Amino acid sequence: MDFNMNIIIEYWPFFLKGALLTLGISIAGIIIGAVIGLFISFGRMAPNKWIRIPFSLYINSLRGTPVLIQLFIVHYALLPAIYPPGTAVTSAIVTLSLNSSAYVAEIFRAGIQSLDKGQTEAARSLGMTKVQTMRYIIVPQAVRRMIPPLGNEFITLIKESSLAGIIAAEELMYWGKAAMGQYQRVWEPYIAVAIIYLVIVFSLTYLLQWIEKRWVQRD
Amino acid sequence: MIKVRNLVKHFGKDEVLKDISLDVEEKEVVVIIGPSGSGKSTLLRCFNKLEESTSGTIEIQGVHVDKSNINQIRTEVGMVFQHFNLFPHKSVLENVMIGPIKVRKWSHEAAKDKAVALLKRVGLESKADSYPASLSGGQKQRVAIARALAMEPKIMLFDEPTSALDPEMVGEVLAVIKDLAQEGMTMVVVTHEMGFAREVGDRVIFMDQGKIVEEGIPNTIFTSPKEERTKVFLDKVL
Repeated sequence: MDFNMNIIIEYWPFFLKGALLTLGISIAGIIIGAVIGLFISFGRMAPNKWIRIPFSLYINSLRGTPVLIQLFIVHYALLPAIYPPGTAVTSAIVTLSLNSSAYVAEIFRAGIQSLDKGQTEAARSLGMTKVQTMRYIIVPQAVRRMIPPLGNEFITLIKESSLAGIIAAEELMYWGKAAMGQYQRVWEPYIAVAIIYLVIVFSLTYLLQWIEKRWVQRD
Repeated sequence: MIKVRNLVKHFGKDEVLKDISLDVEEKEVVVIIGPSGSGKSTLLRCFNKLEESTSGTIEIQGVHVDKSNINQIRTEVGMVFQHFNLFPHKSVLENVMIGPIKVRKWSHEAAKDKAVALLKRVGLESKADSYPASLSGGQKQRVAIARALAMEPKIMLFDEPTSALDPEMVGEVLAVIKDLAQEGMTMVVVTHEMGFAREVGDRVIFMDQGKIVEEGIPNTIFTSPKEERTKVFLDKVL
């Protein structure tokens, strides 16, 4: 097997540009997803069953269907209807945000519900209101527990963002495909792209471990 | 200080408190004893509405306890739990300071002075900057007592404060509670420590199956109980 380094060298600037976009799409997706997910999770935990149902439907629909289908629906149907100037990148960010919001909502819920009931009772017995209890006692502890699963969700999102190449968002995978199309070679472009994904994910894993060590307390 | 009338509590179909009426006077130390499942913790938790009663009324310092004034009343009623329930993300000092700062709206300095004084009182001023995870059970419970006292409550409720402790740590916690009793704090203590009940209690209440079976001064209850059920229980635990 001959390995033509020149293809990689030629495409290197595009791979880097694509990697940056991949990171950008993923970061936007996890941040917007976290904000939406926070609201969804409170809806999902509402005491009233009829309020809970639509939120739980939202979560289950997004978790129960392939991201690719969600991407196509957003790109070819939803976005053209509500925001015609949207590009492939817009569609990718919207899709990843919606998709991750469902997972994040469940991560938030698990984080809050995993806390001992005694924490709420102790806070309330001091005379704190429900809102104060959430703000000073429950949420700060829940957030620490959420960091590891949120990190995992972010890593998943980075890999799923590669689907955006299919709708021609010029992220990393898109440039791999472009190189393959031009030279009719599979190994060089895809190995290069795979290694870049690996580097991104590994760096992130290390960063997360570092954050966990500093932030996540031992109970 | 506490006036309970015809209190009934259901958990689903189970009636765990059956028509309880009870008064606690100012500076009185009432100790509630009884077998597991007799409803003694539930009764205590109804006083500050951590448990919602099914029917009946509770008055604290002459005020009828309901949803509208519960947060106010809780500031006057300190509670100590079996499992401490310290806030693990806050240091010992912050645990004690958070109530006065967030609820009483004290300044940081005032709350800190109070917290330091209380930690000194329970013998833990050297642990102020530690986190709860690094403390022993007895130390945790003493911090929990300091946290409750920081609100300057008029009444203290203790829900089996030594049941989750290793035997060698029971003494240090009981000493703090005893000290409080001597200062004239109004207290209701649910406990399995019969020696403590006898020594510190002004009045002992024996509960079984959701009812107050017998009450009286400790010496009478422990040496010559009137009711058969009290006798059977005391024979088992003493």
